[in-house]
Amino acid sequence: MTSSFPGATGPAAGADGHAGEDLLAGYAAGTIPPAVVWSVEAHLMECAGCRSAMSAQVDAGRLARNRSVLMVRAALGDGSRARRLLCRCGLPDHLLRLLGATPSLRRSWLLSVLGVLAVVAAEAMAVRYGWVRSGPPGRLAGYRDAEVLAPFLLVAPLLVLAGVAAAFLPMFDPAFRLAVAAPFSGFTLLLVRSVCALAAALVPVVAATFVLPGPRWLPLALLLPSLALCALALAAATVLDPRAAAVTAGVLWAVPVLLLLATARGPLPIVQAHAQFACLAVLCACAVVLLARRDRFEQGWTR
Amino acid sequence: MDEMTLNGRTAEVRVDGLSLRYGATHALDDVDLTLEQGITGLLGPNGAGKTTLLSILATVGEPDAGRVSVFGLDPRQTAERVEIRRRLGYLPQELGYHRHFTVAAFLDYVAILKEITDRRRRAEEVARVLAAAGLETRARTRIRALSGGMRQRLGIAQALLGRPDLLVLDEPTAGLDPEQRLRFRELLSGLPGHPVIMLSTHQADDIAAICPHVVVLLQGRVHFTGTPAELAATAAGRVWAADDRDDRAHLAWRGGDNRWRHVGDAPPAGAELVAPTVEDGYLLLSHAAGSR
Repeated sequence: MTSSFPGATGPAAGADGHAGEDLLAGYAAGTIPPAVVWSVEAHLMECAGCRSAMSAQVDAGRLARNRSVLMVRAALGDGSRARRLLCRCGLPDHLLRLLGATPSLRRSWLLSVLGVLAVVAAEAMAVRYGWVRSGPPGRLAGYRDAEVLAPFLLVAPLLVLAGVAAAFLPMFDPAFRLAVAAPFSGFTLLLVRSVCALAAALVPVVAATFVLPGPRWLPLALLLPSLALCALALAAATVLDPRAAAVTAGVLWAVPVLLLLATARGPLPIVQAHAQFACLAVLCACAVVLLARRDRFEQGWTR
Repeated sequence: MDEMTLNGRTAEVRVDGLSLRYGATHALDDVDLTLEQGITGLLGPNGAGKTTLLSILATVGEPDAGRVSVFGLDPRQTAERVEIRRRLGYLPQELGYHRHFTVAAFLDYVAILKEITDRRRRAEEVARVLAAAGLETRARTRIRALSGGMRQRLGIAQALLGRPDLLVLDEPTAGLDPEQRLRFRELLSGLPGHPVIMLSTHQADDIAAICPHVVVLLQGRVHFTGTPAELAATAAGRVWAADDRDDRAHLAWRGGDNRWRHVGDAPPAGAELVAPTVEDGYLLLSHAAGSR
């Protein structure tokens, strides 16, 4: 049993209390006020006749398009928990979507980083605490056993560099030609990806240093070298081939560490005061070069 | 902006004296082209310079010499290059995909690169191009699970995002089956807004079917511009069909009717003259270019 159309007082309402044709057309087109929309919907829920009349007013093409849009939005979803959390923190959804194409932010990459860190940290701890014999027995004193830190100090900043390199090297982006040919700023894309890759790699690196046998300042001491290496690779990529730039930055870290080991001075000078100032200077200089030559990232590396 | 005219009308996309070398090889050698609204087919063999030319039009590559103007904009200027890219849809010859992406996620990603940042509008665009490419039921499918033909359709779909005014498609029909190629032809012919479209292909019948204008590029140089009928006409009087092969012809191959088709200057013995096709004209040009 159908009910009269509630609030059927206007000229669009039918004389029998049902929704008139004009009202239904306005409802279908979305041109009627919200209060009237609610009334119409309440009536349609109870009146099969008006529902039937309504179906004649609906633009089938528009309905199909709306359905397609809903299906696409369902297919896209809201993303992972991390992305939803970052979205709630105010980060734009479209930037977070772009990060989905960054290999060094994928679970498999992060797990690999954790795995490598676990191996080198475990090796340092095993040697330091005598779980594994390595030459003369290690002493109990703290940072005097700097040699055990050598693998970690060598590898950790390189892991951070690798994560950032994966964020900007074309070889890690199968669709990089599309990114080059698109109007979205190449420099912005590079910065967003690199900063996020940097943060994702630095967190486990710094966390690992807390469990290492070494000086208390070690966790902080790795920050500047890691930042400087990444900035150097990015700045060098404005001049060199990007792969060569990343490899050059890695070599410029690895060689001093290995030389210090070879001269039996231990690897710790690479993260002490003088080196920290040098890294800060490199970081500032590379930041200036990067800003001055940012147009290079708009052109791409396709030749 | 420098506005160029051709016979009193503004040329949409114009290329003047374009040259590019890779070492000792001239990938492009003094190429002049004018593209107007509609579809222009770029025909040429491997290594002719098609991909190089298309990548320059798509602002991905840079020439050594020459000038490009897209809708009056100069891609050498940063701001104008960005504006060109806003109006561009590009399908590279070798388009890689993030294999972990779904079809919808990949299109969403490309839409963001095209500066469609509003979520609802992106969803509308993605839905529109999915329908255009016949991939509506594949929105949730991971790209690694798609066949080669479907990936090609996905590539075409991403190029249509944002309703571009200039479509640069490098081998868009590669990997498509005949039905999909037919659907692709219908898609291109029915695009709203009448964009400027340049597509490269090896398939002469694609040119004949969908391109009102064709450019033949051989060894980095333009050897022909005109309609497909005009290209076919260049082989008029030089195409014969015979029961046996005659090696004196420039080219000879067995056709679907089991007769030998010859393209050359002298008629083979017992051959009958036949109407030339676009492919005949192209093959004759290619042979002439190779013998210089």
